[in-house]
Amino acid sequence: MEKKLTPEQIAELKEKIKNMSPEELKEFQKKQCIFCQIVEGRVSAKKVYEDEVSIAILDINPANPGHILLMPREHYTILPQVPESEINHLAAVAKKLSNAVLRALDAKGTNIIVANGVAAGQKAQHMMIHIIPRKEKDSVAFSIPQKEHSMEELDSVQKRLAQKFGTVAEERQVPKPKEVEAEIKEEKPGKVDLDEISSLFSGRKK
Amino acid sequence: MSECVLCGIVESTVPSKKIYEDDSIIAVLDFMGALPGHCFVFPKRHYTIMEQVSDEEIGKVFEVANKISSALFETMEVQGTNIFIANGVAAGQQAPHFICNVIPRLEADGINLQWNTKQLSEEEMSTVELKIKEQIRDVVSFRAKGKPEVAEKKAVRISEEAGEENYLIRQTRRRP
Repeated sequence: MEKKLTPEQIAELKEKIKNMSPEELKEFQKKQCIFCQIVEGRVSAKKVYEDEVSIAILDINPANPGHILLMPREHYTILPQVPESEINHLAAVAKKLSNAVLRALDAKGTNIIVANGVAAGQKAQHMMIHIIPRKEKDSVAFSIPQKEHSMEELDSVQKRLAQKFGTVAEERQVPKPKEVEAEIKEEKPGKVDLDEISSLFSGRKK
Repeated sequence: MSECVLCGIVESTVPSKKIYEDDSIIAVLDFMGALPGHCFVFPKRHYTIMEQVSDEEIGKVFEVANKISSALFETMEVQGTNIFIANGVAAGQQAPHFICNVIPRLEADGINLQWNTKQLSEEEMSTVELKIKEQIRDVVSFRAKGKPEVAEKKAVRISEEAGEENYLIRQTRRRP
């Protein structure tokens, strides 16, 4: 266990951290990171998958049994720091792990979640993708409230975000966004036929 | 009009505010997000759930989702972002077309993506571990192909954009 630090030592440490370069800071964080220790095999974990870039372990405090944490071996705090090639790879692995838990645990769905930042619910300091097996009426209850926004506001947000891709997205006449939303709501969830999909799975062993 | 609203967006028969579009992937604004800036990223081809999406497309979906996530930090002053997929009705999926949500976050924004943790016995954990490993052997076929390219190993965009206000650095300093 860590030793208790005196207030002076804490102040000193804070000062030291403040003066670190981003590279030094990353190295420092890596040493403190429990998930880096798992990656290095110094802390034990229930590893369900690993390759050269990523490893996946069972969460010891799962939302549901079979809750998987998929992470890059390299220490990154949030997804925007991860190189694209690794993101592509992690996504493909996440898909396969989701497929595996659906089959292994007779789950009826999965949630895939990345939290960037404390405000987003991030708890670990090592970027990870959560894969949470779901069943009807389990105890997991996510909610995302809906709000209306003015067209002006949406237009301005669209422009700002589209700039990231170097193209300002095509302007479109959108007179009635509320009607569009209503249509989306009418799509009944029942249309997602998991039985049909699981039959696809069984014929797809590679 | 196509029966699927999201296919309708792809075909431009349903109005949308596009953020990004290429041959296979499209990203649009959610008109009714908890915060403006909530985006849907999805493959143009109609897939119901994630397992049907090709490796290439799912990689691209995450790549685009991550860029939007970065853009939200850079241009909207959000305090966090979530990438969130509801895969299957039991997971809260609403439209029958696979989508990935990029969700801007602020403290106390009313969004709940937290869960209560469960305590499993060592035996239960081991059983789950074995069951999953057994399936992973069948499902993961690309492992033998070897290493995906990890060219930009450094990935230290942080150092390029160093500065007290940079969100990448803020995140790194978050919990020393």
